[in-house]
Amino acid sequence: MDVALKGFGEVVKTVTLRVRRYDPEKESLPTYMEYKVPVQKGMTVLDGILYVKEHIDPSLSARYSCRMGICGSCGMIIDGKERLACQTQILELKKDLIKVDPMGNYKIVKDLVPDLSKLFRNHEAVKPYIVREEEKPTAEYLQTPEQREKYGMFTDCILCGACLSACPTSAADELYLGPQALAQAFRYISDSRDTGFYERLNVLDSKHGVWRCHFSGACSEVCPKGVDPALGIQLLKEVLTKNIFVKYKQVPSPVGPERKSVVETS
Amino acid sequence: MRESKVMFLQYMTGLLILVFGSFHVLLISFLAPTPDKILYQYANIAGGHTLIGGTLFYSTVKAVYSNLLWGSFFELLLTFLIYHIFNGFRIILSEQFPGSKSEKVITYSMLIIGLIIYIYGSRTIVLMLTGGGL
Repeated sequence: MDVALKGFGEVVKTVTLRVRRYDPEKESLPTYMEYKVPVQKGMTVLDGILYVKEHIDPSLSARYSCRMGICGSCGMIIDGKERLACQTQILELKKDLIKVDPMGNYKIVKDLVPDLSKLFRNHEAVKPYIVREEEKPTAEYLQTPEQREKYGMFTDCILCGACLSACPTSAADELYLGPQALAQAFRYISDSRDTGFYERLNVLDSKHGVWRCHFSGACSEVCPKGVDPALGIQLLKEVLTKNIFVKYKQVPSPVGPERKSVVETS
Repeated sequence: MRESKVMFLQYMTGLLILVFGSFHVLLISFLAPTPDKILYQYANIAGGHTLIGGTLFYSTVKAVYSNLLWGSFFELLLTFLIYHIFNGFRIILSEQFPGSKSEKVITYSMLIIGLIIYIYGSRTIVLMLTGGGL
């Protein structure tokens, strides 16, 4: 018997969630399992997955936290596109069979849980913070609304990793920085308070940096927060081209297990 | 060399190939100095059609291109093409086989193959200028 979830409306219909199951420690290949879920008005795909966990198969694994599209934990491929499960209404998909996959271009921890260490390592590599030459600031760094407007959109990134999952270059090139890190690099480089452009050049101008973006635009297509990483990367290319003949002091880039090549080439 | 310089040259050579390539194709197709502007001229010899002249006839093309200006033009076009093609291959292969060792192998392989083709192409251009040919 279908169990209605509290806090939602009437059961409207039943959909089948076709979920990819994979435990790399126990299985050699992933399989798909189908679960019938009674859908009530307002139910999201995350609610559907939690329904499966509570009433059908408690062994199903998924990552989530805020349930309101802020934390970026529940990124997954729903109906063939990277989305946040907590932000995707089941009824809006207008499907009786919904395929749910973990995000691509990441190792899988289990089922719908990707290992995001690559995303965070790349993010860290571009120094995602304001770099200042002065050691002890004496006053607040002032900025005009126009200066903030230059990078405003890129501050909306919630590090869900959907862009890196959709990126075709990341699928082929394991060492590529990826759209998230590059867009964040642009966000800090274009910040009038930042002076760390040359410190980031080692990583950005490497063989697996900004120039490996072939502008497919998939990252911007899937971003659940409306950020346009592809635009950020193109603007970054413009900044690098303008500084093409500028000599700079090389600073070693951060070391990470998957970033060996970048360190060696810089 | 910094990757931004390498890629700047990649984009520039791409544009120059478009300009030089268009100039090359358009000029030989529309401006070649045959009086009747016929691309291919055939004659009925021994009951069959035989190519005997026209703008795109081998000796006509060769006559047009056998001067230092055209030789320099082709040498430049060859340089742009070799750089663009083999740097493009390097990028594609480096993405497919990332890693410092594989990238070194890829870079040097492309450099050597590109150089061999460049020398062969330059030899052809010089032969054309000095009255020889393919």
